[in-house]
Amino acid sequence: MVKKIIKKSPKTKQIKKAAPPKPNKNIIKLKLDLGTKSENTWCPGCPNFMILEAVKRTLATYIDSKKYKKEDFAITADIGCHGKIFDYLNLSGIYGLHGRAIPTAIGMKLGNPNLKVITFVGDGAIYSEGISHLIHAFKENPDMSLFVHDNQVFSLTTGQSTPTSQTGYVTKSEPLGEFDKPLNPIKIALASNATFIARVNARDTPHMVEIMTKAINHRGFSFVEIMQDCIIFNMDQNFKDKRMYKIPDNKDIKIAEKLASEFNYNSKEEKIPMGVLYHNDQPCLEDRWPQLVDLQKRKVGWINK
Amino acid sequence: MRLNIVIGGAAGQGINKVSTIVSNILVKYGYFTFNYRDYQSLIRGGHSFNTLSISDSQIHSHYASIDIIVALNKRALETHKPALKKGGMIIIAKEFKKEGRNLNIALAGALLKILGIPLENLNEEIKLEFKDFDKALISAKKGYDSESEKFVLKKLDNKITILSGSNAMAIGAKNANLDIYIGYPMTPSTNALHAMAKDQIKNKMLVFQAENEISVISMALGASFAGAKSMVGTSGGGYDLMSESLSLQGITEIPLVVYLASRVGPGTGVPTYTAQSDLDIALRAGHGEFPRVVIAPGTPTENIEIVADALFLSEKFKMLSIILSDKHLAESEFSTTLTPKKATKITVKRSVPGTSIVKASSYESDKFGNSTESYILTEANVDKRMQKYNRAKEYINSNLEMVKIHGKKNSKNLIVGWGSTSGVIIDAIRDLDAKFLQVIYMKPLSSLIRKELEKADNVILIECNATGQLGRLIREKTGIKIENRLLKYNGRPFHEDELKIYLGEML
Ligand SMILES: Cc1ncc(C[n+]2csc(CCOP(=O)(O)OP(=O)(O)O)c2C)c(N)n1
Ligand code: SF4
Repeated sequence: MVKKIIKKSPKTKQIKKAAPPKPNKNIIKLKLDLGTKSENTWCPGCPNFMILEAVKRTLATYIDSKKYKKEDFAITADIGCHGKIFDYLNLSGIYGLHGRAIPTAIGMKLGNPNLKVITFVGDGAIYSEGISHLIHAFKENPDMSLFVHDNQVFSLTTGQSTPTSQTGYVTKSEPLGEFDKPLNPIKIALASNATFIARVNARDTPHMVEIMTKAINHRGFSFVEIMQDCIIFNMDQNFKDKRMYKIPDNKDIKIAEKLASEFNYNSKEEKIPMGVLYHNDQPCLEDRWPQLVDLQKRKVGWINK
Repeated sequence: MRLNIVIGGAAGQGINKVSTIVSNILVKYGYFTFNYRDYQSLIRGGHSFNTLSISDSQIHSHYASIDIIVALNKRALETHKPALKKGGMIIIAKEFKKEGRNLNIALAGALLKILGIPLENLNEEIKLEFKDFDKALISAKKGYDSESEKFVLKKLDNKITILSGSNAMAIGAKNANLDIYIGYPMTPSTNALHAMAKDQIKNKMLVFQAENEISVISMALGASFAGAKSMVGTSGGGYDLMSESLSLQGITEIPLVVYLASRVGPGTGVPTYTAQSDLDIALRAGHGEFPRVVIAPGTPTENIEIVADALFLSEKFKMLSIILSDKHLAESEFSTTLTPKKATKITVKRSVPGTSIVKASSYESDKFGNSTESYILTEANVDKRMQKYNRAKEYINSNLEMVKIHGKKNSKNLIVGWGSTSGVIIDAIRDLDAKFLQVIYMKPLSSLIRKELEKADNVILIECNATGQLGRLIREKTGIKIENRLLKYNGRPFHEDELKIYLGEML
């Protein structure tokens, strides 16, 4: 049995890098239109810029395909460096409270199930303050996407340890060093019946676009962990790129469990599988509530019920 | 005419069933009832009781002294016998043990015989409630025949409905076309959650139970942002958890209604009992300065009307509306002939996602809805929020009933109170030289209050809390301190007879 799983190991079945979508003029225009005039206050060189670029490309392609218009998207953002993406995207949404971006987003879907909702959070935000909401979102499976900017540190509050920071990490608030082992969010997701789990590298824009598109297409709660270096705090955790390898989309729960165990957020040697680590189809929240099914059929929110 | 019946026993023995059957019959027979429910935080055992008060005119309270005891066990008899009036009656459940599942029906039968109400009224009720009623009819007769008539209640011509504050919340929500109600179980707000959930499909509404109160309010803000008329319900502890999001409401200006049904705190306190001790947090919870309205109904009928007003105000002024209730109002069963005023039509006219780009932020924001730290914009935004409150205040002042005056309008004796304590005050001053000022809007506070206080010679503040929270609020807004206070804070509401004695001494 064990052998069989090892045989199926995705390491042996790597796929070719997906070709980046060819930028056309319209997409460039749409991307511009997705930006705002707000002054960008991320540190020069912060990979958050690349996440922003990937989101714009993904959504511009979506809008270009005429499947959705810009107004159909709504976002929620948490508080932290990552959350500033809210100010840089010309999209509807709520820049919410620390830890509460998920329930705020689920609320939007209850208020209008036709919206395409994306939530941006940090590892501090979602694995500390908002962990209960994350687990329940996996369970409820609302049709929305969660993008976690995981830099393994509380950056905007100047570098304290988060639940995914490495053991021994010394900070101003924990000068004796972090005593705990980091949480493994992928395992939590699997244990909570997540229907879409992916991991991407913030320095790999084309891959981000590919996975973000899949996440948004997934009917249900799509959880995307974006491994993002912070170039100011906890730099020890940077430079993981060389250990990352891409896997084909996986639907097998056994394989998913194995993939989840490969990287423990602590080690400096382990390989890190990237891509869709697990996905399956389960009815989403909006398809289980008759009231919401009705609103979707009629393509309206409560406002026009 | 006034009678008070205590039906007591262990939780799970069916006390509520007896009082429900009897009050349904009495109300159809034209009598006003008030049913106080006293129960512990347990599911089986312990001691619970209902005091069913009956009158031929409108009442909103119960007595401490009792005319009839229906004891489902020994403990009930021992507990309530000291309060039994001279010549009072006792019905003991043990005598009907053989009736098994229909014991409660036999007890109802015995009770109705004492009240002198013909058996056919009970039989009709049984046929309405049960499919398989043959055995129940036999039990009813057995109970009925076991007693003799003590009172003869004549049929009266009143059209009365029974209502609890929790049902009123659901009716109010339906009348106002509420779209989404979100909650998390916590006594005494749970019954409103149940009442809303029951008919959600029929009422074209969605009722959602979230994982905790923080999620409850976050979801409601998200839903309201997307265009749904949204409300949340909770009690003190859950409301505490919501505070940060109350503040988020303040800055995002997303319309929201919060139903806060108080119980005895601090901490878990005495969870199934009543208190008016959360006025302070209703008025002030949440960091920063932002507008809100706080409205406290005194009866279920007012509660129905206030749901619509709260929703209307929150939508019109993009503001937080808090409906402040408590266990006594939420769970006691009132009866009334009044019909609530028609709900104002609420239309959501704001821009919503899906059709336009709308941004709401927990940061102070610029005209695009993006973050700003500019001192000019910060100040301008604060001013905008304060001006909004002034507009809301003006609107409320000229359009809504912020206080009510009951009793003798020209009396120099003024009683001041609010919320669930209003009913018992109205009943207790019926034959006294006193006027009662019921405060309904806690925020904004009516300017009439100062005028009434200045006119009176003798002012008494009555509240179910230990510090006189309304009194403090009035002092803050008017500079007038009410010296005479009657405060009760043992988890039990005032009884009418008890209050009459106190007032007799104070007036
Ligand atoms: C209730 C609350 N507690 C604390 C904070 C302070 N705070 C702001 S951002 C932040 C952490 C952000 O860390 P993370 O989510 O990892 O985001 P990053 O800055 O690393 O992108 C904290 C604790 C807050 N805004 N609200
Ligand atoms: S502190 Fe780190 S995460 Fe924040 S902007 Fe700078 S580099 Fe990016």
